[in-house]
Amino acid sequence: MNVVGSSVQRSDGAAKVRGEAVFGVDLTVQGMLHARLLRAPVAAGNIRHIDTKAAAASEGVRDVVTGAEVRNDRTGVAVFDNPLFATDYISYEGEPIAAVVADTPELAEAAIRKIELKIEEVTPVATPEQALAPNSRLVHPSWGEFGTVGGIDFNRDGNIVAEILSDQDDVDAVFERADRVIEGVYRTPRQYQAYLEPKMALATYEAGRYTVQVSHQYPFRVRDRLAQVLDVPKSAIRIVGHHIGGGFGAKLDLGLEPYAAILARRTRRPVKMVNNAEEERLTAPCRENATVKIRSAVMNDGTILAQDVDVVFDSGAYANNHPATASIPMFMYGSIYRVGTARIRNRLVYTNTAPTGAFRGVSGPYLVFAAERNMDQIANALGRDRREYRLAMLAEDGHKMLNGQTLEELSILHQAFGLVEAQAPWAEQGKGKLRGVGMAAAIWLTNPQPGQATVKLNEDGTLTVVTAATDSGSGAVFTGLRQIAAEGLGIPADQVIITMPDTDAAGFDAGSQGSRTTHVTGRAVLDATAEVREKVVEKAAAMLEAAKEDIVIEDGAVHVAGVPEMSINLADVAMAATFSNGPIAATGSYTTPPPPHDPSRTKGMLFSTWPTPTYHVHLAEVTVDPVTGRVTVERYVIAQEVGRTINPDAVKGQVLGGVAQGLGYTLWERVDIEAGRYVQRNFESHGLPLASDMPDVEFVLMEHPEAAGPYGAKGIAEPSIIPVAAAIANAVSDAIGAPIDDIPITPEAVLDVLGR
Amino acid sequence: MTINQPVSITCTVNGKAHAIEVGAGETLLQTLRHRLWLTGTKEGCLEGECGACTVLIDGVPVDSCIQSAAAVDGREIRTIEYLSNGDRLSPLQQAFLDHAAVQCGFCIPGMLMTLTALLEHQPTPSRGDVETALAGNTCRCTGYRQMVDAAVAAARGDQA
Repeated sequence: MNVVGSSVQRSDGAAKVRGEAVFGVDLTVQGMLHARLLRAPVAAGNIRHIDTKAAAASEGVRDVVTGAEVRNDRTGVAVFDNPLFATDYISYEGEPIAAVVADTPELAEAAIRKIELKIEEVTPVATPEQALAPNSRLVHPSWGEFGTVGGIDFNRDGNIVAEILSDQDDVDAVFERADRVIEGVYRTPRQYQAYLEPKMALATYEAGRYTVQVSHQYPFRVRDRLAQVLDVPKSAIRIVGHHIGGGFGAKLDLGLEPYAAILARRTRRPVKMVNNAEEERLTAPCRENATVKIRSAVMNDGTILAQDVDVVFDSGAYANNHPATASIPMFMYGSIYRVGTARIRNRLVYTNTAPTGAFRGVSGPYLVFAAERNMDQIANALGRDRREYRLAMLAEDGHKMLNGQTLEELSILHQAFGLVEAQAPWAEQGKGKLRGVGMAAAIWLTNPQPGQATVKLNEDGTLTVVTAATDSGSGAVFTGLRQIAAEGLGIPADQVIITMPDTDAAGFDAGSQGSRTTHVTGRAVLDATAEVREKVVEKAAAMLEAAKEDIVIEDGAVHVAGVPEMSINLADVAMAATFSNGPIAATGSYTTPPPPHDPSRTKGMLFSTWPTPTYHVHLAEVTVDPVTGRVTVERYVIAQEVGRTINPDAVKGQVLGGVAQGLGYTLWERVDIEAGRYVQRNFESHGLPLASDMPDVEFVLMEHPEAAGPYGAKGIAEPSIIPVAAAIANAVSDAIGAPIDDIPITPEAVLDVLGR
Repeated sequence: MTINQPVSITCTVNGKAHAIEVGAGETLLQTLRHRLWLTGTKEGCLEGECGACTVLIDGVPVDSCIQSAAAVDGREIRTIEYLSNGDRLSPLQQAFLDHAAVQCGFCIPGMLMTLTALLEHQPTPSRGDVETALAGNTCRCTGYRQMVDAAVAAARGDQA
């Protein structure tokens, strides 16, 4: 069979081009009510008075709740800091204060406007710098009383949600030996995920159980977080997933689900909620704004003796999952280039801004931006060619990362540099006035978290894969898992049916995050399919009176090797098996085991290893318009390591989509914050990339099959965004002959530098 | 006329004549989704910016989320549900599948309506023509190239 490696079309494609695919926002059930939230109109303030009487008496209103009427304990993914409703003080603009449920969304909205709210405004802690200032007001005065998941405590202090420090050796002493210190401060803004389908939830409450229909990347996270918020057993909650109109990380934690669930219980009616555009804008968990300071202790021969890296990133008003992902800097420095020793400090801080969260390649784009800008600056300071210097500093197979984990296949990066060179010879790029070239290299991981799949042979010879894995667009489920199952049994991909997520029916799955689905859930599918195949072979061997090892399954038929006339349909095998031994099915489960590392080097890290690494080199050639300041990407070249390509078109889709988001982040998109409030408040003002903005992207895929992965596949979805800001900024800096260390690289910023 | 007073309109939707009562402040998107149950047209930003709600009015792409329903009296409207003929996809729909132009799919109905209008007015568009036509349609997933490839291929009558 050769289903794996071919561009099988996605199973949801026809429904999506016909407009038949049902997204969460399309759902309607009989008798459903509609709820809206009253959200905080200011970034920080004390709530002096809430009166909901007029709202409750408003036309069509069924119920109104605030934190006073419902269980409102602080909960969270990592730190228990986030209540359902602000009751005494407001932590960010857009924070929920009350919910109204009514017969129509319009009536609910009208009632929301009748809630009397008196707020005493407080000057917001608007930036991480303000949050870290010695006498800063505390965003959460009672932070010391907040619990943590599993009781694990990491370094927390006031506005510092988490501080992670990796101080390997006597870094300060090493700096004293350096010929020179090359340092930079690299600033990056928030980035809005800009998924098109607003967040939604549709809850029902029946016989003591909640069912919540969602379009969410991680249904089991919704189940577990709802259980925490509602203080009910996980088994009292069922999450049913529908098509997801984009997520990119924004649909990984709770959104509207708890409000809909509570109101469904109170009214005993189905309750639907959908965010409007402004709510999306105010509350989407953007990629965090961050400042990275790097000092590199360098010898004149180019040796880097040490790096001192200080990261500060803005969690916004709540911790979200950041205390886990705050470990990522430990894997982005000292991992691919030889840097001697290193001290990495990462502080995640509270501010009075909307909580930030996951966005494709969490932290990676700005950490690599800082690392690779610093590499360019070192090379320039030493008068070395920037590519040659990188190759000289690139570590080899067997290199140990800061956590003591060994990168066994780092030579793949050397190959990647070679492939990019073959495609776009460095010496020939970026020649001419206001034309520049830049490159960047990175490793990324494949999220290891667990997945399960049950594969059953249907009585017509097709397969059904029962899984709670979600496909928010990548095709990992709607092509990838199908292809893996099809290949595993020996049937065409269109003979494989994939269920939509349902936490009552499918085993735990950690959702579409961290490029994990094809690798982790795919492995579970492969293992389950292998067991199904074994059962088919056993039954077919008995039916055909042949030895098991002679049974061949091909294109949905079962025959005896070398004797094609001794053949039987898979459907007949399935029927015979079902009514003799019982239906054929099997379940596979997988989670990537943590790679060996040195735990003494990872204190305070919730996330201490870098499983299933992948390897990436990007090159950008740009021109800069001296009149408008506009940067044009003339050429963009990628060498990306994928393990094994399951579906070439799907990989291409992830590569191009990631580059588009990366270019937006670097050049055009804006999420500005003034006094704790977002400046861009409608969709258009974000400057999202349009069709005419996209350059051609030349990419080469490198296959280095990973034994644990299905057919060797690793994660491929996130990496294409990660080196983009670095490669582009290096190219622009080269073009204008001055360092660009902040993004976005707006025309104004470029003109500002050119004018100096 | 008060803002809440219903208005009777007649219009053609996907080839069928409809006489509908709509609210004076109602958008065409609301009418299509909530009165006619044509939910293929998507509610995205509701600000006339993302393009997910694009439909054709007398052959011209319009953001239905900011289009007054009362104002389409006597007009001819086409939505995504119009494009396929029974089980058969339109060449543009098929090209989108063949070029893997669909990821999450939320922008797709709007994209297809915009491009349908383009191909009706300009049967052999260049890549630049397609990109310009898509200036009002945002896709966050794909990076757009696959959509441009699909539109050009569909215009040429290519079979994948």
